[in-house]
Amino acid sequence: MKKSIYIFKDGQLKRESNTLCLITEEGKRFLPIEDISEVHILGEMDLNKRLLEFLAEKEVILHFYNHYGYYTGTYYPRQHLNSGFMIVKQVEHYTDPVRRLELARSFVTGAYKNIRQVLVYYERREKQVGATIAHIDDLGSALESTSTIEQLMAVEGNIRDAYYGSFDTIIGDPDFPFVERSKRPPGNELNALISFGNSLMYTTTLSEIYRTHLDPRIGFLHASNFRRFSLQLDVAEIFKPIIVDRVIFTLLGKHMLKKTDFEKHLNGMALTQKGRTTFIKEFEQKMLTTLKHRDLGREVTYRRLVRMELYKLEKHLMGERKYEPFVARW
Amino acid sequence: MTDHDLPVNGTLIWYYTVCHRQVWLMARHLTPDEQDDNVVLGRFIHESTYQRDKHEILIGNIKIDLVRGAKGSALVGEIKKSSRSEASARLQLKYYLYVLKQYGVDIKGMLFFPEEKRNEEIVLDEEGIREVENAIAGVKRIVSMPAPDPPVKTRRCNHCAYAEFCWA
Repeated sequence: MKKSIYIFKDGQLKRESNTLCLITEEGKRFLPIEDISEVHILGEMDLNKRLLEFLAEKEVILHFYNHYGYYTGTYYPRQHLNSGFMIVKQVEHYTDPVRRLELARSFVTGAYKNIRQVLVYYERREKQVGATIAHIDDLGSALESTSTIEQLMAVEGNIRDAYYGSFDTIIGDPDFPFVERSKRPPGNELNALISFGNSLMYTTTLSEIYRTHLDPRIGFLHASNFRRFSLQLDVAEIFKPIIVDRVIFTLLGKHMLKKTDFEKHLNGMALTQKGRTTFIKEFEQKMLTTLKHRDLGREVTYRRLVRMELYKLEKHLMGERKYEPFVARW
Repeated sequence: MTDHDLPVNGTLIWYYTVCHRQVWLMARHLTPDEQDDNVVLGRFIHESTYQRDKHEILIGNIKIDLVRGAKGSALVGEIKKSSRSEASARLQLKYYLYVLKQYGVDIKGMLFFPEEKRNEEIVLDEEGIREVENAIAGVKRIVSMPAPDPPVKTRRCNHCAYAEFCWA
C-alpha cells in the first residue's frame, strides 16, 4: 500500500528526476513518488506550480498544517475518478431531507456505538465509567426519534460531552486534565491532543475519499455548502473514538508524551514538533494495524477500513445495500 | 439509462464473461481500485510493451490497443497481462473485429500476452458473430438494471480490484 509522508522540517519540495525531492538544511532527499498517496506538510515549505502539476498527474494530494499543527487546507488535485452517476446519487441523497437524515443518523449512531465500545473496554479494566455508559445509552436511545439534522447534532454533542467527561477517569493523570472541550485554540494539553488527532483523522479520510468516486464537498451530517469539504467530517466521526482517542490513551498511558512536548501560544496550547512526531508515529502505526475482515476474508488495515466505509456509502447511494456504520467489536 | 448514455465497449464485453457486477459498475464509470497491484501491473504492461506499434486507436466506442502491419497483412491487437481469462480476451477481440466489420473492414486480430511471450490469432467466423451479438445483448440487459447483481464469491474475487468494494 502507498504511504503517507509527513514533513516536519522547513525547506523546499520540488520535482526532480521525475520524482519528489525534499531540500532541507540537511541536504537533498528523494521521495519515490510511486509509493506515496499523500503528503502532510507541517513545516514551512516552498513549492511551485511545476510540483503541483506533477502531483496532480501522479494523483497525490497535499495537506497543510500551520505552525501550531492546526489543519489549514488541502491541495486536492483534479478528481481522477469520475462517475457522473455517483455524483447524481450523492446529490439526490443530500437534497432529499428524509434520505439525508437517514445517512446523518447512521454516522452519529456509528460514532455513538464506537464511543461505547471504548468505554466498555475501560470498564472491563476496572475504570469507573459505568455511569457514563448508562448516560450515553440513554442519550443514544433518542437517536431513532430525531427528525432533524439539528436534533441529531445536539444528541451527538451531548453524547460526546458525556464521553469526554470520562477522560479524566480513563487517563487518570493529573498532568493531563480534560476540564472542558476547547478548540480554536485548544485550551490545554489534552484538548490539543484531541484537536491534533482529529485533524489527522479528517485529512486521512479526505485522502481516502480522493480514491473513490465520492465528492468530498457533499456531506450529510455536516452541512454541505458546496465550497468546503465536509464528507470526511461525517465519515471520520465513526473512527475518531476507536483510532484517535485510543492513540491518545496509549500515548498518555505509556507516558510517551510529557508536559514538555507542549507549548503555550497566545491563549492556546499546541504540541511541539517533537510531540507531533511522537503522535503521528503512533497514529500511523494504528492506521496500519490489521484486522481480519469477515466478508472479504482478508486482513485489512484500519486505513483500508476507512476506504471500505466509503465503499459502503457508495453502495448505499447506488441503492444496493443500506449503509451500516462500522462498529468495533472489542 | 438509455442506449445513448451507455455505449457498449470492449471493456464491458470483456467483463461480461468475467463478472456481471463489473459490467454494471464499469458502465457507470465506477472504476475499480486504481492502486490494486494487478491493476497497476496491467497498466504498466500496457504502457511499456509494443512501443513501436500504434497505440490506442479510437473507433466509435472502441479503443484498440494496437494496429500492426502493412495493408493486406494488417491486424488489430489486444494486449493482456495474462491468459487467465483467455476466453474473455478472445471475445473482446472478436467484438472489435465485429465492430470493424460494420465499417466494412475485414481484418485479423491478434491477442498479445507479452509476459508469457505468446500471441494468438483471432478470426471472426459465423459462430464468433453470434457469440458477440449475444454478449452485446447481455451487456445492454445488465446495464439497464437499476442495481447490480449482488456479489457472489468466486475464485476470481481473490485477485479482483473490486473485491473490497463488493465485500465492504
